[in-house]
Amino acid sequence: MKRLLLAAALLACTAPAWAGSFAGTTGGATSAGTSASSGSSSGDDKVVLAARDDAALFVASDGAIRGARLEAALRQLREHDAAARGASDLDLARAILAR
Amino acid sequence: MRGRFRALCLSGLLACAAAAAAQPRVAVDGEGLSPAELAASRDLVAAATSRLPPRLAAGLDREVVLRWRDDLPERVHGRTRNGRIGLDRRLLAGWMARDRADDHDPRARAALAALLHELAHVLDRSPAGGLSRDPRLLDLAGWPVRPLRLGLRTGRNDFRDRSPDPYELASPAEFLAVNLEHFLLDPAYACRRPALHRHFVARLGAPRLPEVDCDDALPLVAAGEAGAGLQLLALDPARVAGVDYLLAEPDASPMSRWGHGMLRLVVCAPGRAPGPDCRLDLEHHLVLSFRAFVDDLQVSNWRGLTGGYPSRLFVLPLAQVVDEYTRIELRGLRSVPLRLGPDQVARLLERAARVHWSYDGRYRFVTSNCAVEAWKLLNDALPGLDGQRMRSITPTGLLRRLERAGIADASVFGDEAEALRLGHRFDSLARHFGQMYAVASAELALPARNADAWLRLDPAVRGEWLVRGGLRATAALLVLEEAALRQEQARARETLRRRYRRDGEGDGTVEALLQALWSDGAGAGRPAVLLPGPGYGLPQEAERELLATRVAEVDARLRAAHAGLYETALAWLPERQRRRLRDAEGNLERIGERLRALAAEAPD
Repeated sequence: MKRLLLAAALLACTAPAWAGSFAGTTGGATSAGTSASSGSSSGDDKVVLAARDDAALFVASDGAIRGARLEAALRQLREHDAAARGASDLDLARAILAR
Repeated sequence: MRGRFRALCLSGLLACAAAAAAQPRVAVDGEGLSPAELAASRDLVAAATSRLPPRLAAGLDREVVLRWRDDLPERVHGRTRNGRIGLDRRLLAGWMARDRADDHDPRARAALAALLHELAHVLDRSPAGGLSRDPRLLDLAGWPVRPLRLGLRTGRNDFRDRSPDPYELASPAEFLAVNLEHFLLDPAYACRRPALHRHFVARLGAPRLPEVDCDDALPLVAAGEAGAGLQLLALDPARVAGVDYLLAEPDASPMSRWGHGMLRLVVCAPGRAPGPDCRLDLEHHLVLSFRAFVDDLQVSNWRGLTGGYPSRLFVLPLAQVVDEYTRIELRGLRSVPLRLGPDQVARLLERAARVHWSYDGRYRFVTSNCAVEAWKLLNDALPGLDGQRMRSITPTGLLRRLERAGIADASVFGDEAEALRLGHRFDSLARHFGQMYAVASAELALPARNADAWLRLDPAVRGEWLVRGGLRATAALLVLEEAALRQEQARARETLRRRYRRDGEGDGTVEALLQALWSDGAGAGRPAVLLPGPGYGLPQEAERELLATRVAEVDARLRAAHAGLYETALAWLPERQRRRLRDAEGNLERIGERLRALAAEAPD
């Protein structure tokens, strides 16, 4: 039985097609401290949640490191939210971190 | 049509030649045949020749004689030598017993297919023939030119899955004959093997069949999102704004010192018109990646060099690939746009779908690696690219040659910040560790010399510092803490791997079990296993419905397997490692909460 479970665990951790990581199996704490799983979130939320790492880099570097996931989330927020259109990039990055 | 042919039939042995000189002359050897059998044979010849498009018919300018035989080996339906076609006599019996009201009577079809198959051989061997030596056909069929072999082609065809008839893999001549059968008899051939269909139409003319509307959307079985399971995609090439060459930068480990070459599909979000704006629809982008379908705990260089691993084309969400390389392997990615028009993109995707559904190749680190496979995909899909001059056996070499040929557009890297912003570059997270640590230590007197030392600290020690900083320091520490958790996870995997090697030694049961578990996962790299049955080529409508059900089943099984595994794996770790992992997870939760609270405060 132990063998079976170990083999299964190894399968989960090393399958090349599935991110090769424990990370997908932890349930919580998967992406930069977010607890929501992307499977249950709507399309818009997904883009914003996926940008959390990039937003942290952006805020920590005071705007110097600006990755594509953040850029996509900023566009998303501004396309769908009138209030976001007037906000600065840094404000929106903070808003992403506040989620 | 058949009536007209019959009216024109000559009497005697020369059974059926149509009025036009271009019509093929197929005589029936009447020896031993009853009058009814002779008439049926002529009917069959007329039915078969009426299926031939004009140029194919014109190529059959020598008289051939059809003879029914009962001395052919088992499972051989026909044989052609010196202009004499011998067919299994049972086919004639089947043909005579056919239901004339049924256009799809299998007995009629078998006889027609057998005769057309042999006529294809006759045409191929004629002076006007040589179809099976056409380099383009060989590329499409799956006998590619081998790298490092002075232009010699492989002797083996690895497009084994979803074949209409495995006999087609025996040789290019048989491939031609089998495919012409389907080209001439099956209206769905145009949808199931579209590139081959176009090839034959261009050389032989259109088959005399009703036209069918093919579904433009290509069915692809992709890895599921969030790191588990499978999903079924219907990818409409018109929704793909472009294709990038995606290079995972090399690192020092032996498996990746040349980098890894992939193709990225810039798929537009629903509702967005294809164009540059689709660049940022990251969550819809897909990656085509050739990989050895093997878990890395067993990677053996020797097996890789000799082709022991299956080489499969995986379809992966871009987000997963970016995470895997930049956050887990800590390698950067470069995404270089290829200058391809919409038609070329459509051809490339069509070829990718054929590879996806049919290819079951062997992975060799040198001659059949990701770069060679990616090159083959480009070359086979786009003959106009003049692929030969771009062939390379390394992913970086392929990129250089694509650039030199003006196909890869490296100008996007002129402005580094812009390249990062638009997703032409995805940095390894490690690139930012130093800066993040500097930001945090400017605010807090952290107890480590540098970022690396910080990441190596016991998570419990780091934990004390995580909730003391302001917004910037906390954001920086979050980036580092996430990296720290990844490193703990990597160490845990390494421990499990070593235990597996030690405990699994000399015991075949674990191997067998792994194999059984992999078979579910195999769907991601070899989707054909999900669709057993008679269909060939790209799955068509009814098959797609079945496929959706099967993918959902396997997805549910894989997700269920994943769900409890983490806890199980934890139990196998030494106590200290387990605690570190738990602590690192706790740290990430806490710092995530603090950051949320800080960010929610009104800006100063």
